[in-house]
Amino acid sequence: MRPAGRAQPRSTRLFVSIAFGSALLVLLTQTPALAGPRGTLKGLAAPFTAVVTHAVDHFDAGLGLLQDAGRQRADNRKLQAENRALKRQVAELQAAGSENADLRQALGFQKSFGHRLLAASVIARSPDGLTRSVTIDRGRAQGIEPGLIVVSGAGLVGRVTDVGQHSAIVQTLVDASSRVNAYTATSGLDATVIGEGGPISMVVLPKPGVVAQPGEWALTSGIGGTYPRGIVVGQVAVFHRRDSATVETAELAPANDFGSLSTVLVILDWAPQR
Amino acid sequence: MRAALGAGVVILAVLLQVTLAPSLSVAGAFPNLIVLAVVGWTLVAGAGSGLRWALAGGLLLDLAAPGPLGLHALALAMAAYAAGWCQRSFHAEPLLLPFATGALATVVYNLVLLGAADTLGQNVLLVPVLQSWVAPAALYDAVLMPAVVLLLRGLDARLPQRSAAPR
Repeated sequence: MRPAGRAQPRSTRLFVSIAFGSALLVLLTQTPALAGPRGTLKGLAAPFTAVVTHAVDHFDAGLGLLQDAGRQRADNRKLQAENRALKRQVAELQAAGSENADLRQALGFQKSFGHRLLAASVIARSPDGLTRSVTIDRGRAQGIEPGLIVVSGAGLVGRVTDVGQHSAIVQTLVDASSRVNAYTATSGLDATVIGEGGPISMVVLPKPGVVAQPGEWALTSGIGGTYPRGIVVGQVAVFHRRDSATVETAELAPANDFGSLSTVLVILDWAPQR
Repeated sequence: MRAALGAGVVILAVLLQVTLAPSLSVAGAFPNLIVLAVVGWTLVAGAGSGLRWALAGGLLLDLAAPGPLGLHALALAMAAYAAGWCQRSFHAEPLLLPFATGALATVVYNLVLLGAADTLGQNVLLVPVLQSWVAPAALYDAVLMPAVVLLLRGLDARLPQRSAAPR
């Protein structure tokens, strides 16, 4: 039998101390001035997570029942990646067809892969479902800075938020606090893509008589200066239209499968406008 | 011995949380192994021990998550305290208490993270996030919690028993 009369105040005192100390730490480390040391501290965990990720990958491969099954899965992944890349090309071609090519060139983002890119491996994922981030094995030493944009062969992944010496944390599109200004490739509707922890949705500024069709691609619009224009974000799955609404909404299927993302590309020569 | 066990379980849970857990996704949610470990240990060894695990696990999670440090420590401490309160307040069935506590602790943990995000100026749509993430995650953790409690109870039984000091 636990002596509840004494244990309860002790645990309450401990709880209050931890809560107060943690809250103080949050307030201190969220200041922009401490972003550098914070990133460095976060980078300390990266080597351990990289080792475990590799171990988990090996274990996962070993669990692939038979080698053939594993090989087929790898082939399937490769085909899926190729399929996603082809879809991206289709989306970009759709967008190119509906826009003035000269204007796109002038804005300097004809294709995201016209930029200088740095490949990075995903070594960890966010511990909770709200901050859907990934940790990559490239950091300050390789030229990574907060705000840089991260893509994959399929489209936009997110942007760098914390940078350590040899690792960085990337906030993905599906993060609950992620907002990306976008437009639809063929109907040309302006929208904001909103992460919801798991799925993503899109708030659309309506245009009279214009409706986005399911299957239509959404690309970054570049408005706001956080992301370059023309990177594939996702595909419209369902478009909700109500005559009485001041904005319309759509459910979006992300271009990337964030659960299986293993390699990403950081755009090094495009910085967000401050 | 208990401290070594605590450190081992917490470090293992954190490493698996940021590597393996996201691939165990069901209906958009994946389990939170560190919440399971902290709440499970709270039910086995008391709120004081659970809070220590929460502090250690939370600070380690903060290293792997974006944003300020201390956020996960705060959220886990709240979850552990809520679990301790449940344990003191209800003498429920051996299966029902872990189930209910697992769900409650996961909700508390996520609400603290959501509240902190809102306080720090990040716009989070509460209702869609509650529907798409928090509710399925709470159910997932609730289902796993009885097994985790049994496992931790087994580990606790193998450790040398403490003196009568309150935990």
